[in-house]
Amino acid sequence: MNFDLSEEQRLLKDSVERLMLDSYSFGDRRKYQTEKRGFSEAMWARYAELGLLALPFAEEHGGFGGGAVETMIVMEAFGKALILEPYFATVVLAGGLLRLGASEAQKAELIPLIAEGRTKLAFAYAEPQSRYDLVDVETRAKRDGDGWILNGSKDLVLHGDAADKIIVSARTAGDTRENDGVGLFLVDADAPGLTRRGYPTQDGLRAADITLERVRVETANVIGDPAGAFPVISRVADEAVAALCAEAVGSFTQMQAITLDYLKTREQFGKKIGSFQVLQHRAVDMFVDLEQSRSMAIYAAIMAVESDASERERAVSAAKVQIGRSAKAIGQQSIQLHGGIGMTMEHSVGHYFKHVTMLDTLFGDAEHHLRRLAALGGLSGDQRME
Amino acid sequence: MKLLVPVKRVIDANVKARVKADGSGVELANVKMAINPFDEIAVEEAIRLKEAGKAEEIVVVSIGPAQAAETLRTALAMGADRAILVKVDELVEPLGVAKVLKGVVEVERPRLVILGKQAIDDDSNQTGQMLAGLLGWAQGTFASKVEVAADRARVTREVDGGLQTVDLKLPAIITVDLRLNQPRYASLPNIMKAKKKPLDEKVPADFGADVKAKLKVIKTEEPSSRKTGVKVGSVAELVDKLKNEAGVL
Repeated sequence: MNFDLSEEQRLLKDSVERLMLDSYSFGDRRKYQTEKRGFSEAMWARYAELGLLALPFAEEHGGFGGGAVETMIVMEAFGKALILEPYFATVVLAGGLLRLGASEAQKAELIPLIAEGRTKLAFAYAEPQSRYDLVDVETRAKRDGDGWILNGSKDLVLHGDAADKIIVSARTAGDTRENDGVGLFLVDADAPGLTRRGYPTQDGLRAADITLERVRVETANVIGDPAGAFPVISRVADEAVAALCAEAVGSFTQMQAITLDYLKTREQFGKKIGSFQVLQHRAVDMFVDLEQSRSMAIYAAIMAVESDASERERAVSAAKVQIGRSAKAIGQQSIQLHGGIGMTMEHSVGHYFKHVTMLDTLFGDAEHHLRRLAALGGLSGDQRME
Repeated sequence: MKLLVPVKRVIDANVKARVKADGSGVELANVKMAINPFDEIAVEEAIRLKEAGKAEEIVVVSIGPAQAAETLRTALAMGADRAILVKVDELVEPLGVAKVLKGVVEVERPRLVILGKQAIDDDSNQTGQMLAGLLGWAQGTFASKVEVAADRARVTREVDGGLQTVDLKLPAIITVDLRLNQPRYASLPNIMKAKKKPLDEKVPADFGADVKAKLKVIKTEEPSSRKTGVKVGSVAELVDKLKNEAGVL
């Protein structure tokens, strides 16, 4: 198998990595964090200018037809810089729902707005009782003439407070946890009846809790089949997990590099602490975890577009298990090897640890995916647990 | 007006260069390579001249191994129109590069050649000047500002102690300094377009140039590392140390 990047992928990687290197130091990030929405609007405009916001969309909608590998390249660079902007929420999540579920008219209207950086989106899927179960939806949508009325509440809507429009999953039929009966509704963030409470997440990004009280949605703003959107949601969730794995690998790479640098700089007992064999073992363990994660993230990216749901889910879950475990292993080692300084707000390594811990919990943590993988018969598919 | 911009593939500026174990040169195996930062500024300046309507075509040329094609693609993705790769596997010294470039200039007939003032690998700072000498063209080196009119170019140069402005008759050679501009990032639309732009492969013999090395590298070594400093208690002590220990006063 050839894992070399194509000429275009290499140029994309160079371009994004250089942009991050020039404009996204840890100091820059702290500055961006104090901006009104908790991220940099100027950087968002740069992403639009470079075409990153249009990356995964089809060429006929003004995109570049990028696949999961291109998204992986961008997310890895973003993970290295620990970006604050709602790229994942807007382009990967909401963008994925539009790409796979929306009508031609909806795509023609919304994708150019996203590509130009004029509209930010968010995807409201999680509910207080739902844990990691995407089909556990209590928010209800009831028919009302030629539209729908939404009632319910959504938790931890990533970048929900900065979004101009929010895609909400709501049940049009069936009981909570039934696969059928879930629809996707595109709601304006300032729609009457919608209230949002924004807050910082533990890794310094933003999220919002959203309450919907008799929020009216026109039929034109229903994405796909109002009772059959779950297959689209689950596909997008798998693509999203692949993207998160790549982002985590970017963060791991930095954590490992920063820690190694520290081992080679910090002196104790008159020697560089990196000369102590016990610490060398730990550094090697970090490297092994990093490389295992990288391999699994590449595997997830390649399999994220696989149409066989079972094969796709097995690959993505296996990758997320590795990422979740490595987040803990690499994170703890890097903090331990730094000692007290690693815990401070002034040092970047603790911020990376917080972010990868957050990535572990998004769309299911390692334990959740291990259970899903076991139920699917393991990575090879023939080791089903009874 | 046609512009020619030579670009060199060098170790990425963010990578720490290491000397080969046998001291014969710098370790290049598995090291990230990139376009020479000064050449990138030259490409950017050419693109800006084209965007301002002062030039019609930008040809980029690189002299180096097959992988230098990647460097040329980077320049094409920034906005250059066409690329020429002059394939040579061994290291080419500045005079050799200047001779090949002279051949390229005679075929392409550009009105202006814009180069980086030096490559960050060998820091020679010779190619532009040698090329001007071989062609008998005017030269404006270390440019921090470039203004181009129909048949003249005004170049502001960064010299010791200030700025000097020279007025050149075209055709001319310009070598660029760090503060001339901030190079753009290759955007996705331009990356997609770069795929379709032509890249011709040549060898030095096509331009009648001899690139044989005339210099011999005796040894390569890393610079000695900085020694730990000392803190002084007072100005008097500092002056005393400067006078008696450092011997600089």
